[in-house]
Amino acid sequence: MINKDISIDFLGVHFENPFCLSSSPVGNCYEMCAKAFDEGWGGIVFKTIGPEDFEVDEVSPRFDELTKEATPFVAFKNMEQIAEHPLKQNLADLKKLKENYPDKVVIASIMGPTEKDWEELARLVTEAGAEMIEMNLSCPQMTSHAMGSDVGSNPPLVKKYCEAVKRGSDLPMMAKMTPNITDMVPAAKAALAGGADGIATINTVKSIANVDLERKTALPIVNGKSSVSGLSGKAVKPIALRFIQQLRVASGLEQLPISGIGGIETWEDAVEFILMGSTTLQVTTAVMQYGYRIVEDMKNGLMHYMEEQGVKHLSDLVGLANKNIVPAEDLDRNYKMYPEIDWDKCIGCGRCFISCYDGAHQAISWDEKTRRPSIDTSKCVGCHLCALVCPVHAIHPGKIVMKEGREGDPSKIDVVSQRLY
Amino acid sequence: MLSYNHQICEIRHNCFSLLTLNEMGPITMTKKYETEAPGYTMTTVMEEAARCLLCHDAPCSAACPAHTDPAKFIRSVRFRNVKGAAETIRENNALGAICARVCPTEKYCELACSRSGIDVPIDIGGIQRYVTDFEQADDMHILHKGDSNGMHIAIIGSGPAGLQAATTLLEKGYSVDIYEKNAKAGGYLTYGIPEYRLPSNIVDYEIKRITDMGANIHFNTIIGKDMTMDQLKAENDAVIVAIGASEAKMLPMFENNDAVETAVSFLARTKQAKGNIDLPDNALVIGGGDVAMDVVTTLKKLGVEHVTDAVYEQFDEFRASKKELAGAEREGVTIIDGYVPESVNGHTVTLKHRHINSEMTIEADTIILAIGQETNAKNLGIKLEHGEAPSAGYKTHDPKVFITGDIAQGDKTVVYAVQKGKEVAGEIDSILGGNRDDQ
Repeated sequence: MINKDISIDFLGVHFENPFCLSSSPVGNCYEMCAKAFDEGWGGIVFKTIGPEDFEVDEVSPRFDELTKEATPFVAFKNMEQIAEHPLKQNLADLKKLKENYPDKVVIASIMGPTEKDWEELARLVTEAGAEMIEMNLSCPQMTSHAMGSDVGSNPPLVKKYCEAVKRGSDLPMMAKMTPNITDMVPAAKAALAGGADGIATINTVKSIANVDLERKTALPIVNGKSSVSGLSGKAVKPIALRFIQQLRVASGLEQLPISGIGGIETWEDAVEFILMGSTTLQVTTAVMQYGYRIVEDMKNGLMHYMEEQGVKHLSDLVGLANKNIVPAEDLDRNYKMYPEIDWDKCIGCGRCFISCYDGAHQAISWDEKTRRPSIDTSKCVGCHLCALVCPVHAIHPGKIVMKEGREGDPSKIDVVSQRLY
Repeated sequence: MLSYNHQICEIRHNCFSLLTLNEMGPITMTKKYETEAPGYTMTTVMEEAARCLLCHDAPCSAACPAHTDPAKFIRSVRFRNVKGAAETIRENNALGAICARVCPTEKYCELACSRSGIDVPIDIGGIQRYVTDFEQADDMHILHKGDSNGMHIAIIGSGPAGLQAATTLLEKGYSVDIYEKNAKAGGYLTYGIPEYRLPSNIVDYEIKRITDMGANIHFNTIIGKDMTMDQLKAENDAVIVAIGASEAKMLPMFENNDAVETAVSFLARTKQAKGNIDLPDNALVIGGGDVAMDVVTTLKKLGVEHVTDAVYEQFDEFRASKKELAGAEREGVTIIDGYVPESVNGHTVTLKHRHINSEMTIEADTIILAIGQETNAKNLGIKLEHGEAPSAGYKTHDPKVFITGDIAQGDKTVVYAVQKGKEVAGEIDSILGGNRDDQ
């Protein structure tokens, strides 16, 4: 079995691998985090610790899932709040984790309603032996509006609380940002101005995943009612990647250290977050669905990817895609590329014909006798919807032509994707 | 170098080429014999892997005699880590691509599969085939010879047990010489299992991986004739006898009859000739195991119109795997269950039912006997009873000589041969000591 160094340094702390549990139900006590370490995770962000007097009172049930066709957990909705164990026990767990797993990274997530609470919590987790602090400024389902994503979307408050944490601790600190905001840059800059060393993002996306048609309320139903709460899992990955990209290219935030979060479940997802500028990665939803064991394939797959790419240090991959994502107005609009059908693969289902007619430009015609499509290049705009809907991946990039009156060499145009179907 | 993702696309492409074979014009009969059923694509293998329940204490893995660990490699596929899946298979099973195709999974991993509680078990063999095809297409080199420990092992026989024993020993740092009586390695894999079920190139790939690791195969060498057992013992730290059961059994009533051929002989010459053999108009096959199914299915695929199989067992006690039986039925073989041959006169065989009062006479151009195989252990100095060691395990009365494969007690399938190959290697290593720092 392949064995490569996939360690990486983040905010001055060494991680044996970039994979961490995110602050959530999956890291709720010593036993859970210990099992995660035993199964190979590089770090854990312990479930958010709040002040002693904040009472966590949860609903039942508290989760929901979005499905599509037969696929479960396309997205996951969660109403659970922060750690429900007493502060003293949480601190004791942190201490024991660090003692028993000295080579792993123990990160404390904290959250408080006042500056005093933030400062005090920072001091306490530092004393307990945490090596890094994550400020939870982003939980969308808190019962107190003095905590959670309402705070994270208010940059002056973010700055103030970061300063408070820095007064309480000199540990490296990341501020965890909410995606329930149009532009994350002001909040991230406020966090950095308040002393944050890096950013963790995204937290969950405010959502209603399903509505019960009989009871006329959202799911899960809590004695006849429901609430808006955070969505996570694969469906939020695109949202997470866009926020991370926009942070990394914002003026003044270049090289921003990021711990990437949002729908990671395979090594490919992990690499995507790294290429987009994440140094460490945090996972919850896939662990809730499949267990800590998923880290085995994430680590092994990442090693194979590095081997194949000839990359020696994981850090060499961080942010490699940032420069290739440009404003829409800067894209090359001088050419179009026609799709090409591979007749050895085409099974004659007609899905491309339907989608082209009903969803694109009526450029595919259908021969009812042979049950095969054909493409009319005079109508085709090169959108490649047909390639996306083809169930056997029989449609590929074909001939490239310059638009009328435009200059350019079609042979030099780079459109090849090796994305796995 | 082709990229990882590109490789998967290549495999997908190849599979679709097979799918469209029907559209490539008239199919010659040998093509039907030579062509393997299409395998999964990246899309369809993900669909199948997504059906897997990813059990906590996966019963499939517990049920694999070779410990190929299907639960782990299917999980790797589910998490899009095909290379990791290939590592799991290969490190546990030196014949992973072969087992993927010929293992009677319905009796092992798929029998245990929890998914059966919902509908039908996961197609574990199919997923394994996809992964090992990927491994081949990507030219992965997963197994390596261990640091040499200066010790030498001789293996008699290059069938599945001998090949697996060689692999495990090479990994542990032994040097390995294999003595094979035939011109090619692989035993029944090379000379028995038909091309449509196990393409020769797959067997060649698997053997090449092992010779690339350093196994040295001496062909056309019969121990007890071309070389003596004493010579092998003198030159090596241990000798493993893995000769299998390669000789066909014969019923006295069929002896010296020109119309009669054994399944062993028929399958071997058909495979060597890639299906280009003279065909009878009709054939009667006697026997109801997987070998008999191979014979009847081969005959039909090659174009023999009337193929009748007379089977001792009734359908409810059939020995052949359901998969192979279904394949024979799909080809249109006539199966007469519960009948035993009573007498033979030239091309005419009289069969009698075992339980009911029924007799029939069948005249056939060719009569093929698939009634089992036996072992020829002449001049090897080992004791066998009914082709098997008298006691369990791999030791013999001679501390330097071990047995494995079909002549060791236990099931006679390829996957069991792999298990026995690993176990005999482990036992020898524990006795000889191997590399001390490995312990």
